[in-house]
Amino acid sequence: MSAVIDVRGLWRIYETAAGHTTALRGVSLQVARGEFLAIMGPSGSGKSTLMNTLGCLDRPTAGSYRLEGVEVSELSEDDLAHVRSSRLGFVFQSFNLLPRATVLRNVMLPLVYSDRPVRDRELAAWRALRSVGLPEEHYLHRSNELSGGQMQRVAIARALVNDPAIILADEPTGNLDTATGEMVMRTFQRMQRRGKTIILITHDPEVAAWADRTVHIRDGRLFSDEEERAYLAGLARVEEGAAAGPSPTSSAAQKNRSRLLGVPCL
Amino acid sequence: MKFRDLAYETSSALLANRARSLLTILGIVIGIASVIAMTALIDGVKAQLVGQLGLNMSRTVSITCWPPGNQPLDQGDIEEMGQALAGDYEFVTGYTYAGGPASSSTAEVEYLNITACEPAYFQGMGLAATQGRLFTEEEEEDGAMVVVLGGSSVQNLFGSPDADCVGKTVRIGSSQYTVVGAIKTDTPYQSDIAYMPASTAVTRLIGQGGYSSWQILGFAREGSDMYAVAANTESYLYQRYDIPYPEEGQTSFSSDEGYVYVQTAQALIDQLDATTATFRMLALAVASISLLVGGIGIMNMMLTNVTERIREIGLRKALGARRGDITGQFLLESVTICIVGGVIGVGVGYGGAWLLASVAGSALSSMMGGSGELVPVISPATVVVATVICVGIGVVFGWYPARRGARMDPVEALRYQ
Repeated sequence: MSAVIDVRGLWRIYETAAGHTTALRGVSLQVARGEFLAIMGPSGSGKSTLMNTLGCLDRPTAGSYRLEGVEVSELSEDDLAHVRSSRLGFVFQSFNLLPRATVLRNVMLPLVYSDRPVRDRELAAWRALRSVGLPEEHYLHRSNELSGGQMQRVAIARALVNDPAIILADEPTGNLDTATGEMVMRTFQRMQRRGKTIILITHDPEVAAWADRTVHIRDGRLFSDEEERAYLAGLARVEEGAAAGPSPTSSAAQKNRSRLLGVPCL
Repeated sequence: MKFRDLAYETSSALLANRARSLLTILGIVIGIASVIAMTALIDGVKAQLVGQLGLNMSRTVSITCWPPGNQPLDQGDIEEMGQALAGDYEFVTGYTYAGGPASSSTAEVEYLNITACEPAYFQGMGLAATQGRLFTEEEEEDGAMVVVLGGSSVQNLFGSPDADCVGKTVRIGSSQYTVVGAIKTDTPYQSDIAYMPASTAVTRLIGQGGYSSWQILGFAREGSDMYAVAANTESYLYQRYDIPYPEEGQTSFSSDEGYVYVQTAQALIDQLDATTATFRMLALAVASISLLVGGIGIMNMMLTNVTERIREIGLRKALGARRGDITGQFLLESVTICIVGGVIGVGVGYGGAWLLASVAGSALSSMMGGSGELVPVISPATVVVATVICVGIGVVFGWYPARRGARMDPVEALRYQ
C-alpha cells in the first residue's frame, strides 16, 4: 500500500514573546492508504501541532510533508486552502457546526469553497448524511436542535462531503458519553471500510483501540506502540523504586527518572 | 465561492443580528439622506432661478447691434446675417417693441407692451399658447390684424387670468385686433404684454411713432458650443458693420462707433452654477460629516462581527475557504448595509427635502436670489453619485475588518473561545 501521508523530520518551533517553544522535534510518520491511525498523547505533547500540520492548517518550521506525493510544507496559504478543501476532512471535538444553519446547509458548507457545481451540492450532502446514518427527518433541522452524537455525525458527514482522501479527527468523542462515542467510532470504522484514511487524535486508550495502529507523541517526539509499552514499563519500575526508597548508587535509575520528570500522568 | 453563496452568507449574517444591522443601516440612511436633501434643495433653487430668468432656453441667443452712425439694422440685415451664420443658427428672427393704450369691450389698460415678431420668435423663446393658438407665418406676411395676449393682459382686459379671450376684439391705438390666443406664464412680476405679427406692427403702430430698432433672436443648432456661436456672431457683426472691437474693460460705447452685444443663456447658467456651487460645497461638507459617522458605525459593527465569528472563520478556513472568500464575505456584508441604507436614504432625503422646502424653502431661495415656491430636484446624476458613495463607504470602512478576519491564523481562530 502506498503511503498517503509521508512525514520526515518535521520540526515546529513557535516564536513567542517568552522565546522559542519547540512543539515537534523531528517527527517522521508514514500512513498507508486506508489505514486507521490513532495518535495518543497527553496535552502539551505536540499532538495538536502534529494534527494541524497534517491538516495543512499549519506549516512546519523544517522537514518534509508529502500528502499523496505532493510536498505541501511550502505551499502558499491559498494553495493549502485548496488542499484542505479537496483532500482533507476535519472532525472536531466541539463539532464546530454553524448553529443557526440547517443540518443540510452545514454539510454543504465545504462545497461552497470547492469547484463542484451548485446543482450537485444537495445530492452530495444527502449521500454524506445517509452514509453516517443520520435519519432524514433531521436534515432540515437547525444543527443546534440535535443531540451531541447527532451533531458529531453531521460533522463527520461534513468531513466526507468533498470525498477527501483523509479524515482528521481531533478528540471526536471527547464531548460524548461512552455509548454515543462508540456509535461515532463505528461510523469512522464504516468510513475506513469504504477506503478512507482516518487519523484520530485521542488520549483515551479505548478509543485508540478502534484503530489499526497507534502511535504516541510525547515532548514533540513520536513513539510506536512497542516503544511506548517499554517506556511505561520503565516508568513503573522507577515508581516502584521510588516507593521503596531511592537507591543513591543506581545512576541508571536516576538517569531514567530524570528523563521522566515533568511528564504529566497518562 | 460563488456570488449566490456570498449573498446567502451575507443575508443570513445580517438577519442574525437584526437590531445591530438596522442601527448601522440607520447611520448610513441619515448620512445619505442629508446629502440627498441638501443637493435636492440646492438643485431646486437653481432650477427655480433658471426658470425665472428664462434660462431654460439654452440654445437661444439674444443679439443687439447698433451700426455706427445711429443707423439701426432692418429686417433685410437680419436676413443677411441668418444666411451668413447658417452654420451656427437654425434660424435668426428679428423682433421689436411697440405699445399703447388698449381696451376690450369691458376694460382697458393704460399701456399694452407689444412684442412685434415672427412666429419663429415663439419657438426661440420656448413659448406655447395656453389657449387658442399663436399667429401663423401667413398672418405675419399678410399683416393680419391679430394679437396673442400674454402676461397679465388677459386678466386686466377680460377680468380673470383664465378668461376666454379667443375671438374677442381688442382695440390698440386706433385699430381693432382679433385675439387668436393667449400665453400664460408663471413668472412672478407680470406686466400687460401682447404679441403681434411684425409686419402688422410696423404698418399699424411703429409707423405711428413706435421704436424702430430691431432686436435679434438667434436659435442655435442643436449641440452647438454656445460660446463659439456667440463669438462667431460677434466677429461677424464687428466686421460686417465695421465696428471697432471694444478694448479690454471698456464699458461705455458711443453711438458713432457702433455697438455689439451678444448674450447667451450659457454664460448666465455658468454664473449661476458658480454661485450654487459654493452653497453646494458648504452643504455637502456638513452632510458628509454624517456620512463619515455612518461609515465609522459600519466599521465598528464589522469589527464586532469579525470578533464574534473568529471560530467560524477558523472553521471555514479549515473547510477550504481562501483569504479572498473570507474577505469577500465580510466586505459584501458592509457593502450591502451601505446600499440598503443608501436606497432608503435617497427616499428619506427626497422626503426631507420636500419637508425642508415647505418649512424654510422661501428663506433658502431668497438667500440665493430667487423667490417663490421651492421644488426640490433630484437629478439622476445625484442618485448615481449617492450609489457610488454608498459602495465606496462599504468598501472603505469594511475593508479593514474583513482583512482582519481573512488574515486570521486558522489554528488560533479554531482555538479561540
